[in-house]
Amino acid sequence: MSSPDAPQPNPLHLLAAFGSGGLLTMMVFLNGEAGSHGGALFSSWLAHGTGTVAAIIFLAVLWRRRPATGETRAKAPLWAYLGGVSGAATVMLTSTTVNTPLALAGTLALGLAGQVVFSLAADQWGFFGLPKRRLGLRDAGAVALMVVGSLLIILFGVGASA
Amino acid sequence: MTLFITYALTAGILVGLSRQLNGRLALSTSPLIASFFNHAIGFVFLTILGLILGNLLLPGASSTPWWAYLGGPVGVIFVASGSWLIARIGAVNTALLVIGGQMVSGVALDLARGAPLTLWASALGVVLILAGMALTQKRR
Repeated sequence: MSSPDAPQPNPLHLLAAFGSGGLLTMMVFLNGEAGSHGGALFSSWLAHGTGTVAAIIFLAVLWRRRPATGETRAKAPLWAYLGGVSGAATVMLTSTTVNTPLALAGTLALGLAGQVVFSLAADQWGFFGLPKRRLGLRDAGAVALMVVGSLLIILFGVGASA
Repeated sequence: MTLFITYALTAGILVGLSRQLNGRLALSTSPLIASFFNHAIGFVFLTILGLILGNLLLPGASSTPWWAYLGGPVGVIFVASGSWLIARIGAVNTALLVIGGQMVSGVALDLARGAPLTLWASALGVVLILAGMALTQKRR
């Protein structure tokens, strides 16, 4: 590997990512409420539907003409539009596994493992046209701390005493 | 059981795949446009699936409170932010910080509403996550 170590990430970007995890907690709570009324498929369908409408409204409000800098961006390949299918398939899998002996904790813990393995490979090789990032020893230490911390909360912290 | 373990692992891989694809789309368009396509195409896919399976609208669906409809708009912001961040801080940082933020805010939510919580494990988990975040910031 000849690529240099990944540059120091901007702390504000890291905080934004951490904060967006709070949005995820809110989403899980809201979608869970919809799911308790109409089931997992309905919940995901509803969230994608209201999300589509919301995205159109956001885009309409924020719309402005791109300044003509002469810079033209490469068109996205067709497969780049399939993120929504991958996301929708995720819901089908997790709504199945939470109702098996894996339950919510097992689903979250294994999902975390899947995400860590995929993202390590994605950064290493720059999957799907995103930049490569070679991770150093310090990054590995940070990954380990955050994984162990999250697993502690999932497996022993939240709801474990219920 | 092996099948379900495979399902749960695959779900995690698909979360990463989705963010990678949306991040690539955002490079050519914008994070909000990528989030729009994520939701619109997911909606079409789930509509077709629901029509095939025939269980899209169960009797209880109409009793969903209005505020539960807000999960979608929150998701639009979440997907747009992930699509913007992944090109800047990478897949590993995005995935782990989002999970870390989800865990810490989840513990806070449970504390606030008095849900059962094992305090030592939750507190230690939060400390380890914050320590991991600090470590990515330490000068080399």
